[in-house]
Amino acid sequence: MMVPAMAIMGGLVLFPLFNGIRMSFTNASPLKPDTHWVGLENFAYLFEDREFGEVIYNSVFIIGSSTILSLVIGFAIALLLNSGIRGAGFFRAAIFQVWIVPWIVIAILWGWLYNSDFGLINHILMQLGILREPVNWLFNEIPAQITIITGYTWRSIPFMMVVSLAALQSIPKEIMEAASIDGAGFFRRVVYIIIPLMRNILMVLALVQAVRLIQDMTLPWVLTHGGPINSTMTISMYTFKLAFDSWDFGLASAVGTLWLFVLILLAAISMRTLSRNTN
Amino acid sequence: MSSPNYSKIGLSFFSTRPPWRLGKVASKLAIYILALIVLTVLMIPIAWMISTSLKPTADIFEIPLRWIPTTITLENFSSQFNDILRRIFLNSVIVGIATIVLSTFSGALSAYAIARYRFWGTSSLLLFFLASMAFPIPLIMVSMYILFVKVGLLDTYAALVLGHTVVTLPVVVWLLKNFFDSLPIEVEEAAFMEGAGPFYTFFFVVLPMSKPAVVAAAIFVFVTSWNEFMFGLIFITSNELRPLPVGISMYFLTQFDSAWSQMMAVAIIVTAPILVLFLVFQKSFTHGVTAGAVKG
Repeated sequence: MMVPAMAIMGGLVLFPLFNGIRMSFTNASPLKPDTHWVGLENFAYLFEDREFGEVIYNSVFIIGSSTILSLVIGFAIALLLNSGIRGAGFFRAAIFQVWIVPWIVIAILWGWLYNSDFGLINHILMQLGILREPVNWLFNEIPAQITIITGYTWRSIPFMMVVSLAALQSIPKEIMEAASIDGAGFFRRVVYIIIPLMRNILMVLALVQAVRLIQDMTLPWVLTHGGPINSTMTISMYTFKLAFDSWDFGLASAVGTLWLFVLILLAAISMRTLSRNTN
Repeated sequence: MSSPNYSKIGLSFFSTRPPWRLGKVASKLAIYILALIVLTVLMIPIAWMISTSLKPTADIFEIPLRWIPTTITLENFSSQFNDILRRIFLNSVIVGIATIVLSTFSGALSAYAIARYRFWGTSSLLLFFLASMAFPIPLIMVSMYILFVKVGLLDTYAALVLGHTVVTLPVVVWLLKNFFDSLPIEVEEAAFMEGAGPFYTFFFVVLPMSKPAVVAAAIFVFVTSWNEFMFGLIFITSNELRPLPVGISMYFLTQFDSAWSQMMAVAIIVTAPILVLFLVFQKSFTHGVTAGAVKG
């Protein structure tokens, strides 16, 4: 029974994973006739490469802020919908529709919204008096990062909301009632009861979504192609380009291996925190 | 005991026990208004997409921007649903369905084996499946690419189907394993008593009972496959076989630099199948695409 799945996962995940780690110590490339060991040369190169540093910094900035923003907004909406209003189900389903929009559509759509001459966002911001003149969003570094962040945040909010709402509904009613009888207002209940109770779930949510966003490449690829000056070059796009633009399999594998290493480290840290929180 | 501090509760807008009725009505109203504002803000991009797609080209470049088109036209849809778009649309449907079959089938089998036959290493196997959702895809892609070139699978649907199976299989296993755990084992024991083997029991007893979970898994697989970009960019090299997202980024985005009403029509065409799936299978849909996160 396990054979089909094990064949697929073994042949196409486990083997590539180890093979990738092995390749990170070589100069493998389809453009070179012979492959040989280079030891830690790829890693040494990466640690000294300024571009790689920028990519790491920009990835962490873009994905970190998208995750935190969407978690805060999604959780706030969940609190709103959990306050016992009628029609919460309708709001939930309506907001969830954002989550079904395919990545490529998000890319095209936000490209249009952020269009410098006829985009809705420049238009609204100018009408509100926030901007004096149109911003050329996709061709300036920080505006381009903001574009990607809003796209990621918008797409992540429904997921954060649905899962936090489910978690909120699992908090026993008695706890909340006891708290409000004791005179705890809404904000106090959120800060002193709900958030501590949900700390683990919120942390897992943030991690899951961050990992998912790290794997996405569609949005920066279509909108900015990583530019201007690498400001929106995320780690997956950078690795992808090393592998399939420069055809430097060795260096790409080295980045992938470092990425894997950081993931394992993060997983270990979060597991420790999670088990400490539950104890 | 001191009496509860009522003034404090009264000040809090969202308190569930306000001291006077008006406060309760007001706070309910405030929540509705807030929820409506949130919904509107989140929906603006989608509304703008629909509005733009229905506009004649001249309307797009009009300032101030208008929400309601001067004339509503479906031109953009009919002109854009051309041979190229139809072709790449079909490619994605084929790949999506093939991935559903491969991923759901092999995933269901191993989920059942894990749920029912606790053998050595079950829990580490599950952990591996869970962890593999987070693996760096480009790292895995390099070896997959080399392998596909060697066995001649590059530039075939099969390469894409395998790629999409790799990213969906772990979620399918996770989702279905949890579901099989919740099934009463007595039914299967009865089947065994009647002399049914494990495969017979699985296909004719367990699977029919698991329809909602299998549907949720299949929807997740299809949506992921429909969305996937990186594999499509590299594993397919000929124009006729490209999947939808890659095809759009290659032909449509470069072709029309400022034909935004047409682009939005294309965007809606791409979203439509997923929207239909969502409207028809709302419950399993939500369950499927949020799975793997909540169960951890």
